[in-house]
Amino acid sequence: MIPAFLASLLAATLLAPTPAPGDPPAGAAPWARLLAIPDISAVGSFAAVHDSYDVAGQSPREGTQGPEGKPTFLFRELELGLRGVIDPYLRADLFIAFSPEGASVEEAYLSTLALPGGLALKAGLFYAPFGRLNLLHPHTWEFGDAPLARGRLLAAETLGGPGLDLLWLTPLPWFSELQLAVQSTDPHDGGEGRLTGSAKLQQYIELAEPLTLGVGLSAARRGEGTGAFRDLANLDLFLRFRPVDGRAALTLQGELYARRFRGRPPASIGPEALFQGDGRDGTGGYAQLTWRQNTWLGYGVRYDRAPSAGDAAPGTEQRWSAVGNWYPSEFSRLALQVAHDRRPGGADGWEAILHLEFVMGAHGAHPF
Amino acid sequence: MRPTMTTLLLALLLCLPAPAAAALRVVTTTEGLAALAREVGGDRVTVTSLSRGVQDPHFVDANPVLAVKLRNADLLIDVGLELEVGWLPPLVNQSRNAAIRPGGPRRLTAASAVQVLDAPAEAVDRSAGDLHPGGNPHFLADPRRGAEVARAIAARLAELDPPGAAGYLARAGAFTARLDAALVRWKATLAPLAGRKIFVHHRTLTYFLDWTGLLSAGEMEPRPGTPAPASHLADLVALARKEGIKGCVVENYYDSKGDELVARLAGGTLVRIPGDVGGDPAAVTYEAWLDLLVQRIAAAVK
Repeated sequence: MIPAFLASLLAATLLAPTPAPGDPPAGAAPWARLLAIPDISAVGSFAAVHDSYDVAGQSPREGTQGPEGKPTFLFRELELGLRGVIDPYLRADLFIAFSPEGASVEEAYLSTLALPGGLALKAGLFYAPFGRLNLLHPHTWEFGDAPLARGRLLAAETLGGPGLDLLWLTPLPWFSELQLAVQSTDPHDGGEGRLTGSAKLQQYIELAEPLTLGVGLSAARRGEGTGAFRDLANLDLFLRFRPVDGRAALTLQGELYARRFRGRPPASIGPEALFQGDGRDGTGGYAQLTWRQNTWLGYGVRYDRAPSAGDAAPGTEQRWSAVGNWYPSEFSRLALQVAHDRRPGGADGWEAILHLEFVMGAHGAHPF
Repeated sequence: MRPTMTTLLLALLLCLPAPAAAALRVVTTTEGLAALAREVGGDRVTVTSLSRGVQDPHFVDANPVLAVKLRNADLLIDVGLELEVGWLPPLVNQSRNAAIRPGGPRRLTAASAVQVLDAPAEAVDRSAGDLHPGGNPHFLADPRRGAEVARAIAARLAELDPPGAAGYLARAGAFTARLDAALVRWKATLAPLAGRKIFVHHRTLTYFLDWTGLLSAGEMEPRPGTPAPASHLADLVALARKEGIKGCVVENYYDSKGDELVARLAGGTLVRIPGDVGGDPAAVTYEAWLDLLVQRIAAAVK
């Protein structure tokens, strides 16, 4: 069913006088009236996956995986995005995800347009300002899955929830932004939301015209019941070399995660242990190097490590991944990813993912 | 000696941007627009371009460092027609400068000043490639439209800086008079070549062809933003041989392997041109850039 405002705009557009043949359009196309409609986009992703080991038992994680030894086709997600300006003061960004688990609102927030002093305020449901990948939607990643550490130490999918986020673009001569957020974050075991405070300082510095360095420092504290807390810390580094006269770009990116529980016995972690190992303090991270060769091709390698989980022996799990991306156009991608997983005690396994993705509708921003 | 809090604060203050000078801070998305703003603004403006002339303006990174340049902009001039759709909107949001938002008092979209070509007359979808549904944004390759944009910049600067209004309008008048004189010279060079055909890589020369009388025989991209399969290149070679097409024109930011192949197999000439002002060491001004386009393309089709 088309919303009333869309219907009225479409009707107004279709009923608009059509320019006479031969009249060159002056200034803009007759479809310009449609510009009042929010930017609408849909991002779909599908995959074929083959795992040589029992991922669900030995290396449980969210995302793309199949039963041991059986190639599987997966519908991963369809993300519907609506973005637009509400009034002279606010804009809205809404992202609704449809997946085999059902429909959910990924993000739905309002942002101010014109606060003074470099300030902005975000209110609604949004990803917590913590780390780098936590703030990005999966279709903007170079790889077809998330690093292990993000799911094991932070949250199974993303750290986010309803709340308020204050952003301050400092007056320094480089990009320096401070974010302070208070949210109710949902644990992935379906339990009640807990109050979480997070802070992030993100800096981008142009070292030379083709070379940009990004450094982010994040910290978060999540309430875990009376007197108990989960403390999280993150350091993210980003270095991109992109000569201005082409599409080629070399990007080095990495994040370190640390988690510490205060005042809560590990045994109380409950179902979260499925994804988050033994529920004790832990560290992990990843480093990846990606090479965008040209408009059509890109490659990457990633190393990641995190506390083991599920039936795996306690210790550190390591994983190497390599991906090749083919972009038939700016609106579709076919990726082949191969990963080798090594768990404590020497157990290992392989995974291959063929990942297909498309973007329909409004032209989004190029990820940086 | 241990630094005191005062010295630390002083060091921090030295890092902060200098207090606003009298000049208007103009930020443009492309070097071509920056060149026009400099011509019109003279000493009363400082002009910064977010992209370089050697850069494909469709694919600039949405690097947050660029948002800092927009933060204190008194005027943002963009091309429009979705040329910068992949990178400018997030930068404007990040800049916190509400006045440079689309439709804002300190935003000038140059496309609003010119008559646009290649605007689809009916609904289109992306099976036709990565089209600009509002029309072709490469209008600065036409000096007549360049003059219109210069006049629009002068008018907006005059609104924002009334004490300088007379100067802006006078400079715009002098500049467009120079362009008119150059146009006579360029047309004299190109008039004998009217009707000759060239291949282009992308639809970047639609406006250039419109004023020069040259014709496009086709594009290397079978559809905008898509790579050329071998069969398409073979078709172009066959067409070139049949119709005697000599020039394959490509901006120097594109991968030109396909263009080179077609030029070689068809016995033609590959012409690399700067995509914008600053895209070649000799293209230091708007007029110098157009001079280069005329010289190189004329030499190829003679």
